[in-house]
Amino acid sequence: MRTATKLTRLGRLAAATTAAAFGLAFGPAAIAAPAASASSQVGWIRLAHLSPNAPAVDVYLYSFGSATAQIVLKHVSYGTVSGYEQVAAGDYTVAMRAAGAKASSKPVLSTAVDVLAGHAYTVAGMGPASGLRLQVIPDQLTTPRGRALVRVIQASMQEDTVTVTAGNTRLATNLKFASVTSFRSVKPGTWTVRAVGASETATASINLTAGSIHTLVVLDEPGKLVIDDLLDADGSKVEPAGAARTGFGGTAARPGAALLPWAAVGAAGLASAITGTVLVSRRRRPALHAR
Amino acid sequence: MPADLLQRGRRRERSGRHVSQARLVRRPWAATFATAGIVVLCAAAAGIAWAGHAARPATPVGKPPLVPIPKGHWAAAPPAKVIPVTLPTALSIPAIGVQTRLVQLGLTPSGALQVPASPAVAGWFVDSPRPGATGAAVIAGHIDSYLGPGVFFRLRELRPGELVYVRRAHSSLAVFRVTAVRTYLKSRFPTAAVYGPVPDAELRLITCGGTFDPATGHYLSNVIVFAVLQA
Repeated sequence: MRTATKLTRLGRLAAATTAAAFGLAFGPAAIAAPAASASSQVGWIRLAHLSPNAPAVDVYLYSFGSATAQIVLKHVSYGTVSGYEQVAAGDYTVAMRAAGAKASSKPVLSTAVDVLAGHAYTVAGMGPASGLRLQVIPDQLTTPRGRALVRVIQASMQEDTVTVTAGNTRLATNLKFASVTSFRSVKPGTWTVRAVGASETATASINLTAGSIHTLVVLDEPGKLVIDDLLDADGSKVEPAGAARTGFGGTAARPGAALLPWAAVGAAGLASAITGTVLVSRRRRPALHAR
Repeated sequence: MPADLLQRGRRRERSGRHVSQARLVRRPWAATFATAGIVVLCAAAAGIAWAGHAARPATPVGKPPLVPIPKGHWAAAPPAKVIPVTLPTALSIPAIGVQTRLVQLGLTPSGALQVPASPAVAGWFVDSPRPGATGAAVIAGHIDSYLGPGVFFRLRELRPGELVYVRRAHSSLAVFRVTAVRTYLKSRFPTAAVYGPVPDAELRLITCGGTFDPATGHYLSNVIVFAVLQA
């Protein structure tokens, strides 16, 4: 009788332990991992001075309606192109003042820029000083697979027009001063780029890798032409196929694995049951002996 | 009489022996019960430990190990013109206790991204821009091995604003700021967002995540961290 009671207690204990094991083993798995999310609604702007006979300027970037400039570039002279500044998508105003002029003074030029998320823009002072204008040039951030993209900005006043080639590929034909071509897809490689004007010619060796986007700016230098190679954007030369196999599952939750504690507790319960049975049969034996 | 007494004494002795033998017979039962109880407890504990290990906790347990913030030259904002940037050699993410050297990764024969042979190190994809140069540098690492956590086990715990340090040859340092941590089904891997052109210097950290498929031996998702060069 006492043995039976003990066995019952043992059974209860086993049941309680099993329940506890179940709760602990399966509790954490029931909590779903929170999905990380963060929206990056950003675009990019870079600022350039591409007017050969215009003096140096201070360039201000304002978030639309704000009196305080978000970015100020001081003493920007001809031929200067800034790096891209990452900005929140939205409306902006770019203003140019003579270098050293007060921030509160009336700008010489200003223009509105609508920055879309994931897009990039070049805002350049273009044309002759007498007809200086701020031009918003949309940039591109995707290339055809395995190709490079190139375009040309003609910022030379010495030459009215230039023709630009990369190897045998024509990038620009008789491109007028203060104008820009659209992007052209080019086979990756190191190319000899030539800019040919009526009187001057410029040559440059330019490496165009797959997935890269370039803007070539034809500039005046005293008595000659130069080609400035701007890397607008760059990506991987090769796009790996599909996803990355970066796990072997050693820390993964697996339904099969989660059954093991059950099996362990079950086996323990079975063991105690057998022990109990053995004890009951043993208790009878000494009674027989006593007789 | 003395003999009788002696006999009684022996009887008493014998009966005493009988009592102690009976106790000995009873005690093993109790001992066996105790043992059985311990066995059940141990088995349950083992089960809990095993299941606890298998069912990875959804929230971080404890604080990350201390990783010193690397010292070195801070990279300037990416310039408009192309300047050479040296090869990356090591990666450090103090927020999640990552400190590893970087191996170089290419492509598998099938054209997929090669992954580090060791789950303990991360690797830089050699066809991606170098960390700190214009474009998105790609670094991949394992979430786990067959047995336990890998170098990027805690990658998904990174939060926007936290810093990632990439040491490059000649001891220069590129510091990146996390902008987003996202999980994508592998069947919808964002190839353009990871490998496509970007106009500034960025970083992508890749590992596995989501559900593990025992049938294929692969996770069904990738966790991707997006970061930009700290100006």
